[in-house]
Amino acid sequence: MKHGKLTPYLFLLPTVIGLIIFRLGPTAVAFYASFTRWNIRTPPQSVGMSNYAELVASPTFWLVFRNTIVFTLIFVPGVMVISLLMAVMVNQRLRGIAFFRGLYFMPYITAMVAVAMVWRWIFATRFGILNYVLSDFFNIANPPAWLADKTWVLPALAIVAIWKQAGFQMLIFLAGLQGIPANLYEASAIDGATRRHQFFQITLPLLSPITFFVLVITIIEAFKTFEVTYTMTGGGPNNASTTLAYFIYQNAFSFGRMGYASALAVILMLVVGFTTYLSFRLKDRMVEYAL
Amino acid sequence: MNQKRTQALFSYAVLLLFAFLTAFPFFWMVATTFKSRGAIFSLPPTLYPDLLFTDQMWDAYREVWFRHNFVRYTANSFFVAGVAALGQLIAASLAGFAFARMKFRGSTAIFGILLATTMIPTEVTIIPEFLLMARLGWLDTYLPLIVPSLMVASFGTFMLREFFAGVPDELVNAAVLDGASTLRIYKDIFLPISIPALTTLFLIAFINNWNELLRPVLYISTPSLRTVTIGLTTFQNEYGAQWNLLLAGAVIAVLPLIIIYIAAQRYIVEGIATTGLK
Repeated sequence: MKHGKLTPYLFLLPTVIGLIIFRLGPTAVAFYASFTRWNIRTPPQSVGMSNYAELVASPTFWLVFRNTIVFTLIFVPGVMVISLLMAVMVNQRLRGIAFFRGLYFMPYITAMVAVAMVWRWIFATRFGILNYVLSDFFNIANPPAWLADKTWVLPALAIVAIWKQAGFQMLIFLAGLQGIPANLYEASAIDGATRRHQFFQITLPLLSPITFFVLVITIIEAFKTFEVTYTMTGGGPNNASTTLAYFIYQNAFSFGRMGYASALAVILMLVVGFTTYLSFRLKDRMVEYAL
Repeated sequence: MNQKRTQALFSYAVLLLFAFLTAFPFFWMVATTFKSRGAIFSLPPTLYPDLLFTDQMWDAYREVWFRHNFVRYTANSFFVAGVAALGQLIAASLAGFAFARMKFRGSTAIFGILLATTMIPTEVTIIPEFLLMARLGWLDTYLPLIVPSLMVASFGTFMLREFFAGVPDELVNAAVLDGASTLRIYKDIFLPISIPALTTLFLIAFINNWNELLRPVLYISTPSLRTVTIGLTTFQNEYGAQWNLLLAGAVIAVLPLIIIYIAAQRYIVEGIATTGLK
């Protein structure tokens, strides 16, 4: 297609301006701000590395860091296993399968603040239906206080987050499954392979590039987790469920510490960036031979 | 044959189990809104809502909708999400068209940056963004909810680039021979044939903007400007344990999206599945 030399740039104008003003610019400012002391009213004051020194020495920061890791360690395997299982299940030719597929994806499109509300009600200690089922049907004498218990709050948040997120990963897995040639299954069935055999010998290896992609986006999703904390617990009890992204929000907008929050934001970005980098380095080893 | 039936039965059992786990919170949400206070706090919990098909059945909704102004919040959300999604279509289709059909210096680099920066968490950019909005005097307006999401539409650009690249050359060549300008080709050829893709993108963008929580929380302070998500958040802080009211608000917040989703499920699911990006 012939076009003027400037034409493509005119078409890109809104996107490029947006990219500079809302992505690249703010990222650069966040880096700069992480070396300053800054509340909204007074201009930023350069303080060198002191924000970073403070967070390294802060027990709260390490608690928050630990919380983020614990959440990730529950959320990521949970999402991976459940979404893959759901994808395999809805990839069958059965009557009504479109209904199940549609239903499994539904939590993903709903507002977290709305579904968080019903989950808080389900998890309620005394009148919540979950603890009623646990104590009356499973005879558990003292079911946990879930959102008010510092051991159980992160698993509870992870359950909600998995419930809401898994449908999305399911769709990506499903697209991957549909790309596996059907004749591989037919041929192996003639050779007498069972369905379990087929799953481990054909499906999993051929799906590995997709699995890898899903793994990376799920880990990043876990590190960035904010809404479930904000809507379910506000970080409580006693910071037991404060995750890194929520901690940034708190410092910036509740405590007015923009500089310190920016340093935390830089840490979050480094963690996400490093994970992405590492996973693409590992990818060459993990995925290629399987194909 | 018999083994096949056992397998199908087993599959349905697993499918139903997942369906139950997915659907139960929605069921419980709706069921609670049709219960009286006594029934909500009864042990054992009642599955059948006591106010169902009585005169008081819609009381919770009436109270939330009118007295707590969810009618206004819902209208606000429709407006904000609609304008933002429409804007996203314009920006994304322009950029997607340039990436798909034109050769120019920096094309790969700009596209790469656009995709790579989706990795940057909102929590990183939100602080400078907030200060920028304050400087511009945009606090407590809808501009901060609309403009950022409208201008950087990575997902939409990516999706439309794929779609536009698949448009057959013959369609374009004929127009070029007729001496049509680039803008004309974009407007009169590419946009009309992309209506399914544009619909998909509009719906996904609408859903994302409707559900947006952080920006409304930060930027909106006047009660009458609240969107549904922030309306629900403040409502929750004020009416902590009135579960029938809270959950009626929650139903109002999710219902429009569920209706849209059911009506246009094919578009939404395919759009997300083919690009695998948010």
